[in-house]
Amino acid sequence: MRKNPADIIFSATTAIASLSVAVFVIGILYVLIMESSPAIGRFGIKFLISTDWDPVKESFGALTNIYGTIITTFLSLLIAIPVSIGIAIFVTEISPNFLKAPIGAAIELLAAIPSIIYGMWGLFTLSPIMSRHVEPFLKKITAGIPIVSILFQGTPMGIDILTASVILSIMIIPFTASISRDSFNLTPPIIKESAYAIGATKWEVVKNIVIPYSKIGVFGGIVLSLGRAIGETMAVAFVLGNNHRIATSLFDAAATITVTLANEFAEADNDIYLSSLFYLALVLFVMSFITLAVAKYFLIRAERKYSR
Amino acid sequence: MTRVRKRKIEGVIAMVLCTVAALTGLFWLVFILGDVLAHGIKALNLNLFINDPAPAGVEGGGLRNAFIGQLLITLCATLIGVPIGVLGGTFLAEYARGRRIARLISILSDIMVSVPSIVIGTFIYAVLVKPIGHFSGWAGAIALSIIMIPVVLRTTEDMLRLVPWTLREAAFALGAPYYKVIIQIVYRGASTGILTGILLSIARVSGETAPLLFTSFNNSFFSADMNKPIASLTVTIFQYAMGPYESWHSQAWAASLVITLSILTLTVIGRLLIKGRHGKR
Repeated sequence: MRKNPADIIFSATTAIASLSVAVFVIGILYVLIMESSPAIGRFGIKFLISTDWDPVKESFGALTNIYGTIITTFLSLLIAIPVSIGIAIFVTEISPNFLKAPIGAAIELLAAIPSIIYGMWGLFTLSPIMSRHVEPFLKKITAGIPIVSILFQGTPMGIDILTASVILSIMIIPFTASISRDSFNLTPPIIKESAYAIGATKWEVVKNIVIPYSKIGVFGGIVLSLGRAIGETMAVAFVLGNNHRIATSLFDAAATITVTLANEFAEADNDIYLSSLFYLALVLFVMSFITLAVAKYFLIRAERKYSR
Repeated sequence: MTRVRKRKIEGVIAMVLCTVAALTGLFWLVFILGDVLAHGIKALNLNLFINDPAPAGVEGGGLRNAFIGQLLITLCATLIGVPIGVLGGTFLAEYARGRRIARLISILSDIMVSVPSIVIGTFIYAVLVKPIGHFSGWAGAIALSIIMIPVVLRTTEDMLRLVPWTLREAAFALGAPYYKVIIQIVYRGASTGILTGILLSIARVSGETAPLLFTSFNNSFFSADMNKPIASLTVTIFQYAMGPYESWHSQAWAASLVITLSILTLTVIGRLLIKGRHGKR
């Protein structure tokens, strides 16, 4: 078939438009590496394991930020995973039919609220509740227990790792919950019915049939929320306090990579400071890209499994 | 008998816990929205929309500059991001259908949808702010459009794939070239879906703050010049909420209410559009 010239122009335009996404990915990587090259040259790979963050002495290291990112992400997943899976079980197995769609939609609305709103609500509403009620309570009940009590040392200020993690967990619940729900829904009814037929309770069907059947999809959903939590900025910027040190108590202020970037990027007054911030952004980009790629890998595997 | 009872009790406990989890999710939604509504409605008045900010610490004033700035940045981002996203999605679903390149771009877009938006802010800073020497509205709009493109691209791709192949064949049989088939037949068939994708992507970027912090920056005066630093609602909320004045806090709440309501409305309309369509079928 002879090609129509207008068709060639149109197809070329669409091809260029779709390649823009690849250009952004490569461009971001390239630009971040170029911009951070002064810092890479000066601090090298040691940047990743140094706890220094001293703009005056011009000595920078990423460890406090990476630590902050990992600890808040880990804690938020710890809170969010059981709740999300509980929600998914409720929506797929327990709730009456007419409530399934509205509850699912309501949970997904949580994902539509902008992160700055979470941050502001966290600062003005959640943080006072945490410092007055929740944190003193946690401190009291863990007081006598060795090791655990270290986590709850210090004055509960509400601007700390715990509050930030709680907000993050609320933000990632909708992602994990909706992907888990979709995976649960793909369990063939006939397998579930066979289990009911031999006298299994609803919980046993969920525990022994639905969850094992859909675990790849659920895992993909969890890794996806992990990727999102790593990169979340505004929601934690309000309540984490931007404190560059390795905190041992959950009541300590800390800094994540994103919070440091948000607070210091526009104020960096010399080249090595700015370059170190670009280095941080590079670390964040690589971390989240790998996490999201892993999530995508599991979600594709899940998709293949269910479509068979 | 005791084993049966034990299993039953275990089942009931698990079901109760799952119900509690669902209630927890709903509780947070109601708590956050209710809180924004309660605080925001107190500070919401006409002055907020028609006045520019008063000098720091002085009562009164409004956020006209931020509302206009936000609209301008979002509009420009949409004008850049939507065509590229729709065309890119067209390539994946039509010309490159089934090819490895389509799969790769599709996966890359899915990853880009969730890449930290602050990283995109630093990228645009390096490319558009540092070389030019000052912050600008365009830099902010382009940062937002980079977030928008993968969202629009992926929904367009999915929606075009839903259009039955036989429909295209019918048009080919009449001798129509592929581009005409796409524009006149396929786009028409998938228009509701594509529109939903566009609405959701606008909702997504209008709440973004991080990529604007060091691209469009902020401006406490009225400006509609996209070549200069320009105020946006989200960055203003960040600045006001972290600031020391009570009047700033209440204005930040009002701005939060406006932005939350707009985004939720867009999201709900998007969802209803797609649902209405599926319902008809």
